Amino acid sequence: MANMIMASSRTLVTPAPSLSTTAKPKLIISNSTKLPTPKITKDQFLKLSTSTLKSLSFVAATSLTLAPPSLAVEIEKAALFEFNLTLPIIMAEFLILMFALDKIYFTPVGKFMDDRDAEIRAKLNDVKDTSGEVKQLEEQAAAILKAARAEISAALNKMKKETQAEVEEKLAEGRKKVEAELQEALANLEQQKEETMKALDSQIATLSQEIVKKVLPTV
Amino acid sequence: MNVLFCSINTLLLCYINTRKGLYDISGVEVGQHLYWQIGGFQVHAQVIITSWVVIAILLGSAIIAVRNPQTIPTDSQNFFEYVLEFIRDVSKTQIGEEYGPWVPFIGTLFLFIFVSNWSGALLPWKIIQLPHGELAAPTNDINTTVALALLTSVAYFYAGLNKKGLGYFGKYIQPTPILLPINILEDFTKPLSLSFRLFGNILADELVVVVLVSLVPSVVPIPVMLLGLFTSGIQALIFATLAAAYIGESMEGHH
Repeated sequence: MANMIMASSRTLVTPAPSLSTTAKPKLIISNSTKLPTPKITKDQFLKLSTSTLKSLSFVAATSLTLAPPSLAVEIEKAALFEFNLTLPIIMAEFLILMFALDKIYFTPVGKFMDDRDAEIRAKLNDVKDTSGEVKQLEEQAAAILKAARAEISAALNKMKKETQAEVEEKLAEGRKKVEAELQEALANLEQQKEETMKALDSQIATLSQEIVKKVLPTV
Repeated sequence: MNVLFCSINTLLLCYINTRKGLYDISGVEVGQHLYWQIGGFQVHAQVIITSWVVIAILLGSAIIAVRNPQTIPTDSQNFFEYVLEFIRDVSKTQIGEEYGPWVPFIGTLFLFIFVSNWSGALLPWKIIQLPHGELAAPTNDINTTVALALLTSVAYFYAGLNKKGLGYFGKYIQPTPILLPINILEDFTKPLSLSFRLFGNILADELVVVVLVSLVPSVVPIPVMLLGLFTSGIQALIFATLAAAYIGESMEGHH
């Protein structure tokens, strides 16, 4: 990873020397230095030499390839800052996306939200207006109540008057009756008085004669 | 002797193999591209493919979520309304009262970058093997970020010229003509900083995650991955906010 980043930071990766050319000199050195020390037959020597050749070449190769910069040989030049037709294509894609999103998202949803806002605001204002309506209704109710009260009191008064008149009528009637009876009784009394007076008058003459006879016997 | 050499031999081979294997498993191929030829020009195919996926995700989800808007929003519609409100808020704070026409641009910038970044972190792109290079977030490529930054430059120039006509260029000698070179330089540094900030952040985030995964395959990379998600979101927001700020700056009166 680090190698790759390092490699990418370098604009030009220098190709590592090829394996075959670097491996050969090492092989020669190994042949000249190591082989004479063990005493071995030609056969063994040949076998050994081929195997050591192989392994040594591997050592050389790996030591080269494992060295950080040379690993980049396997990786091609990293093109981090490479501009090409991708740029205008992305621009075009972006503009198309912008128009498409505007058509299906920004404009309709924005309009929808604004409309809903306006609607809610209108409804809210309506609610404020109904408070006035409620006041009006309350006034109306009060008026109705007042009218009802007036009506009831009027009816009450009327009834009172009616009953009073009735009572008075009955009273007057009773009074008349009583008076008539009184008159009758008085008339009776007068009649009886006159009768007694008459009776008394007739008796007075006889009585006075008797008195005179008694008082004046001599006469 | 023979045995010794052979053992060294095999050991080294094993070493090479494991190293190669590690690279094969965890290797992020930095700066490796799958090339397509279009009319003699080269194209980074992996960027184009992933950008198609991102666009498909955006358009598809938007169509599904808002095809039948309800007065009392459903869950998905609610989410999209929230996103739109967020974008409007960003545009409004940066551009001012005349933000309306710029909402699609700012919104698309934000959504495209955000979904791109998160797709790089969340979608298992690596499952799909490419013959060369690998799939990753589209914002992982300098072409994408520079394209977006250049569009932003065009947008703020258009906004300024549209609002003030040629008087827009008067801003170059504000507040004093001595600042002319710096003001001109700003037009170059703005897209440069925009594009490189986004590119660097996303690439670095992806590299850090890959390196950590290659070192410690479990648990340890998770916080870094979460941090990566956070950074991705922040970068999308920063790009959109700065774009809006540049547009607002070129539209505002300076007299």
